[in-house]
Amino acid sequence: MTQSFYSLSWTDVFASMVLVLFSIGLLRWWKIGLEKTLIIGTLRTFVQLSAMGYILTYFFGQRHWLFMVGLVSLMILVASYEGYRRQKTALHIPHYFIIITGVLTLTVILVLGSVLTFILHVQPWYYPYAMIPIAGMIIGNALNTTSLTVNRFVGELEHREAEIDMLLSLGAPPRAAIHDAIRESVKAALLPTVNSMMMVGLVQLPGVMTGQILSGIDPLIAVRYQIMIMYMWVTASTMTNILVLALVYRQFFTPRQQLRCDLLRRS
Amino acid sequence: MENSNVFTLAGVSYVIQNTPILTGITLDIRSGEHWALMGPSGAGKSTLLRLFNSLISPTSGAIRFHGQPLESTDVGRLRKRVGMLFQEAVLVNGSVRDNLTLPRQWVRPVPEYAEEQLTEALERVGLTPGHLTTQARSLSGGEKQRVALARVLLNEPEVLLLDEPTASLDPPLARKILRLIADLQRELNLTVIRVSHHPDLVRSFAGQVLFLDKGRIVEQGPIVLLDQPRTQDFSRFLREAQA
Ligand SMILES: Nc1ncnc2c1ncn2[C@@H]1O[C@H](COP(=O)(O)OP(=O)(O)OP(=O)(O)O)[C@@H](O)[C@H]1O
Ligand SMILES: [Mg+2]
Repeated sequence: MTQSFYSLSWTDVFASMVLVLFSIGLLRWWKIGLEKTLIIGTLRTFVQLSAMGYILTYFFGQRHWLFMVGLVSLMILVASYEGYRRQKTALHIPHYFIIITGVLTLTVILVLGSVLTFILHVQPWYYPYAMIPIAGMIIGNALNTTSLTVNRFVGELEHREAEIDMLLSLGAPPRAAIHDAIRESVKAALLPTVNSMMMVGLVQLPGVMTGQILSGIDPLIAVRYQIMIMYMWVTASTMTNILVLALVYRQFFTPRQQLRCDLLRRS
Repeated sequence: MENSNVFTLAGVSYVIQNTPILTGITLDIRSGEHWALMGPSGAGKSTLLRLFNSLISPTSGAIRFHGQPLESTDVGRLRKRVGMLFQEAVLVNGSVRDNLTLPRQWVRPVPEYAEEQLTEALERVGLTPGHLTTQARSLSGGEKQRVALARVLLNEPEVLLLDEPTASLDPPLARKILRLIADLQRELNLTVIRVSHHPDLVRSFAGQVLFLDKGRIVEQGPIVLLDQPRTQDFSRFLREAQA
């Protein structure tokens, strides 16, 4: 099974670059002006993924649980920082960095934990071949959707300021006053993931699965993994989104249940 | 007599981003009074109004509600007792019924409104029970404002804050809604604090007037001030508003 159907050597990989050369030719011909960026992208894909391969090989050689936990923690911290930086408005949300770090940690513990123990029955649980890629997938996806949700949420608050004031003035608790804003932002962030669950397998195979099948894995096995990954994915995104907003919205209210306008508009 | 004060403001200031918006506001509002807040745009009228039901808190100074410091009241309960209508009525998506029963959803256990409470609330503001199933977004501006008023009244407030709720309505309709509010005020013994730009509408309905300029009270007192302004600023403001 580990024997590749079509063994892909480094020379073959270089050969696949010819495909990109062809695109570059087309771009030049029509003077699109994207050639330089595409060349850089091509090189970066090569360098980053090759480096990742070597790094993974190194990590897969490690067999200590503390090392694995440290690595996953580092991944969470880097992702949180990236999420924090990427936020147009986040710098104004108090405790934002702590919120995403905390929520990502919790999501990883719960989702990764249950996948490793109850679903894949990995022995030992810190076996790097399972832990690293799954953790990466959970963290990366959760981070992407969370950035979307929080940006959208702040936009909704700005847009709905009058409505929120109206609801508060009628005696609504903050949570009820921003409920629609939360609903809209979570929906908007999760919709692409949920839609991809609707479409998966109909037209296009997920990239990971294509790679697996090409390297000789039985499609039925590849499919099972993909199904599990999709479920894991949507759960991790839902969890992070809702938990992050549940903590973020509180930052927009004073203890007297007043909307903090000073956090809005400034963005 | 101390107890008949609904609101007591002592040296209240509100500063936002180092800009003073309100400065040294000292004011007594007694039960059953109808105050008109006047002043040029940006004077701080809306800001002052928002202080009364704790949508914002003063930077310094003290506000008392029935003698109790505002900060020590339960904010949810306070906002129900001190209802507010905004310049533009904001209704949520859904039917008029959804809008009227909105505040109920925040109370546990969810109380049941008797159907006649809803129809009564609508009739009180000059709408019919048939409106209950109408979609809120298909209502006219005046009807929206009435639904918002009915919704506030269902909370059984004792104070009504009105931030020019009639500004976007044509004058006859505005007058009609204000007459309605004046009637309700008598019927329910409401205290009304209302922002208004129109001396005519102030004269017809208000008993007390307060003139605010650049965040400070320039004049306050009984409605006769409209005819005998004590300061140049107020008389100029009235002349220009009249024109
Ligand atoms: N959240 C805020 N952030 C910054 N400035 C504010 C804020 N709220 C009010 N202000 C400023 O405070 C001043 C008073 O505003 P306010 O809305 O109370 O005026 P107003 O008397 O109601 O005016 P108008 O008649 O135009 O409604 C204005 O200069 C306004 O720009
Ligand atoms: Mg105003």
